[in-house]
Amino acid sequence: MKLKIGISGINAVDNPGPGVGVAKSIKEDKELSAKIVGLSYDAMEPGNYMKWIIDKSYILPYPSADHNTYLNRLYYIRENYGLDFVMPVLDAELPLYLKYQKELEKNGIKTFLPTLEQFKLREKDKLEEVAKNIGIETPKSEVVNSYDELVKAVEKLGLPVMVKGVFYKAYRAYTVQEAVSFFNKIVAEWGYPVILQQVVSGEEMNVVAAGDGEGNSLGMIAIKKMWITELGKIWTGITIKNDNLLNSAKRFIEVYGWKGAFELECIVDLNNNKIYLIEINPRFPAWSYFSTGVGVNIASNIVRKAFDLPVKEYRDYPAGKLYIRYTDDFVVGIETFQKLITLGEN
Amino acid sequence: MKKVYEKPVIVKVETGFMNKFGESPLYQRKVRTDIDGVSIDKLVEKYGSPLFVISEKKLREKYRNIYNAFASRYPNVQFGWSYKTNYLKAVCAVLHQEGAIAEVVSGFEYEKARKLGIEGKDIIFNGPHKRYEDLEIAVKEGAKIHIDHFDEIIDLEKIADKLKKTVKVAIRLNMDTGIRPQWSRFGFNLETGQALDAVKRIAQSGKLILNGLHAHIGTFILDPNAYAKEVEKMVKFAYEIEDNFGFKIEYIDIGGGLPSKNKLKGTYLPPDIAVPPVDEYAEKITDALYTNLRPGDFPKLILETGRAIVDEAEYLITTVFASKRLPDGRKAYICDAGVNLLFTAFWYKFNVEIDRKVYGVNEPSVLYGPLCMNIDIIDDGILLPPLERGTRLIFSPVGAYNNTQWMQFIEYRPNIVMIMEDGSVEVVREKEDLTDIERRERLPEKLKIR
Amino acid sequence: MNRLHQLAINDEGFIFDPLTGENFTVNRTGLFIINRLKEGKKEEEILQELIDEFNVSREVAERDLIDFLEKLKSYRII
Repeated sequence: MKLKIGISGINAVDNPGPGVGVAKSIKEDKELSAKIVGLSYDAMEPGNYMKWIIDKSYILPYPSADHNTYLNRLYYIRENYGLDFVMPVLDAELPLYLKYQKELEKNGIKTFLPTLEQFKLREKDKLEEVAKNIGIETPKSEVVNSYDELVKAVEKLGLPVMVKGVFYKAYRAYTVQEAVSFFNKIVAEWGYPVILQQVVSGEEMNVVAAGDGEGNSLGMIAIKKMWITELGKIWTGITIKNDNLLNSAKRFIEVYGWKGAFELECIVDLNNNKIYLIEINPRFPAWSYFSTGVGVNIASNIVRKAFDLPVKEYRDYPAGKLYIRYTDDFVVGIETFQKLITLGEN
Repeated sequence: MKKVYEKPVIVKVETGFMNKFGESPLYQRKVRTDIDGVSIDKLVEKYGSPLFVISEKKLREKYRNIYNAFASRYPNVQFGWSYKTNYLKAVCAVLHQEGAIAEVVSGFEYEKARKLGIEGKDIIFNGPHKRYEDLEIAVKEGAKIHIDHFDEIIDLEKIADKLKKTVKVAIRLNMDTGIRPQWSRFGFNLETGQALDAVKRIAQSGKLILNGLHAHIGTFILDPNAYAKEVEKMVKFAYEIEDNFGFKIEYIDIGGGLPSKNKLKGTYLPPDIAVPPVDEYAEKITDALYTNLRPGDFPKLILETGRAIVDEAEYLITTVFASKRLPDGRKAYICDAGVNLLFTAFWYKFNVEIDRKVYGVNEPSVLYGPLCMNIDIIDDGILLPPLERGTRLIFSPVGAYNNTQWMQFIEYRPNIVMIMEDGSVEVVREKEDLTDIERRERLPEKLKIR
Repeated sequence: MNRLHQLAINDEGFIFDPLTGENFTVNRTGLFIINRLKEGKKEEEILQELIDEFNVSREVAERDLIDFLEKLKSYRII
């Protein structure tokens, strides 16, 4: 079976999209022998040039365009190169894929995504309910739409406080002025509303996992970030085994029948034995290759499940493995760039 | 044989904007040659440009679609047509035919509904500014009066004394439903106990009978859950009133605020994804009713949805009058319609369609209106192929709030036509001329120019 | 500042300026004009060639040519 698998988020830059890591994972499953189709939004996304991982890439219209334009582009790729499966990994494109997953399937392009109802669980005002249902806690937060509300929310939550966008961006503000400037920054780029969240103490620990839609896990690992960049992106991490944390991820899959990849961002307060749910990301994180590296290939398991191929059962993984991100560089001719600009594909 | 001409275009490749679909001739280009089968050319030829075009078919479809979403889930539903959204007679008449009663917010709108032939009992009288004389007429004619403040209670009691009758009234509430900004300027606040005070005040005098509750939580509400919260709070409050004051709350009016498929500025996702389907709202609202209502109790559910019904049923055809190159290299087009006609341009990014196939790559462009005013911008960042003078652009959806909030400023207001279900075209508002504008003016004798 | 002569132009309408590192895309008509500007032709000559080569009126071609040259100036290409 030679599957053609489309993966977005191949912008492997200082604030990397998850795509290249997912692509590497799928490539490593030799039984799939899949071809990777890079789905990018800009000719400069490095994945477009990484031919050893991404076999062919296409530029897509932005998901903010109307959905017909977007879907037609996917159909164009299916007809001209082949596209059996798409793994969207960017928050801004998920609503479109969720809404049109059936239509895509009808037209020969599979996906493996949560339902719209499941997707809504990630909304910040649902976090409390989700946390309760899976046996953990959540920091207090407020949704704000104006300067006045922002100031009131800061009074309520105290400082420092996290200022977050609905889709992207999260900043820690130590003063009201800082909070206002982050608020303006987020609004300018991503619009309203903005979420303010109480800062809780503890270690940030994350879980990447996937559910099969029937309450079972397709693999999961837990990690701790050891070193992050100025943008808050992981640069070095380590696998950990916190049973409470892993069990809450399992419960999340069971309780909600979650389908597809997800990441739970948590703060673990070891002193008080509390876990706070900070965020649910309904997709792979940028560091998802970490799991593949320790033997848990979640991405390929998703593809296997989608095509009714035997799914691998991952019972365990080693703790204490390090994740090292590093920078590398290479040189290419202008032709690929030129083609991407003029033709929209390489 | 000469080659097909395409306007020359050069675009700089810029970091962060290297998305081919900004430029491709194949994408992001929408062509519309007709509305309901009537060609754009013919419409403009006969009725001029700019031209507002209303589709009767679409208007009725939207109404039925939204009404049925509720009526199929709950046995007692009534729609009130929000006049301020679009009070063209033809629009109101279509919606009244479909079964909507009138929802007005001023003496003027009340008069308009009556003139159209709507009986007082089929008019909901809302709003913070109901003059005493308007209220008196409304009381006489048996309109549904929704009280906004304590002063209005006092006025109504005086009218009740004067007319020697007890008057049925509803009160408007405001509350926290999780929607920000929270609307708190209309009606009585629920959480602070102000609403309960209003009920007590009404009960004490015995001159008014409270039989309805009304609220309106905001506009362009994208979260159906907010309505569920609204319904829950209203139903609970209704029972609190019934149990303690002996009034029977016959209807619950949850207002409007349902979104249309228009793109709000500052939102990222396109409306077909960002705006939940009406069934989702209907589901949440009726669920909340069934969860909170006592068995066998089905008070009338009134909705005053305006935008969601009419917005998508109207288009504005405009003509490219001229083009120019801005100092920053962007292309600018001057259209014959601007913010004078499209008040909603201040918060919407319209769907823009072109009346013909145009070849050539898209380039960043700006659409200006005809006014000699710096703020007259319809779209300050749109990718368009090079457009010929005389090309027509079709903006939509424009059915909500434009025909009521437009201005006679610098330019005359154009024709509005309705394409009827049978395909015929009717002028429903004639274009203005100088006499319309000067009819009310008086020039003092000594200022006359001879 | 005339950068025209240093531009590397390919047939697909991709233009690379080795001096500044800037890239541009241009459509067929734009390429037609740029190539003639490179040959040192005057505005009036190019206009005539446009009319001869393409199915376009003098009025439209003239208006478009002026606009295109303004755009080139805004990019400081001519």
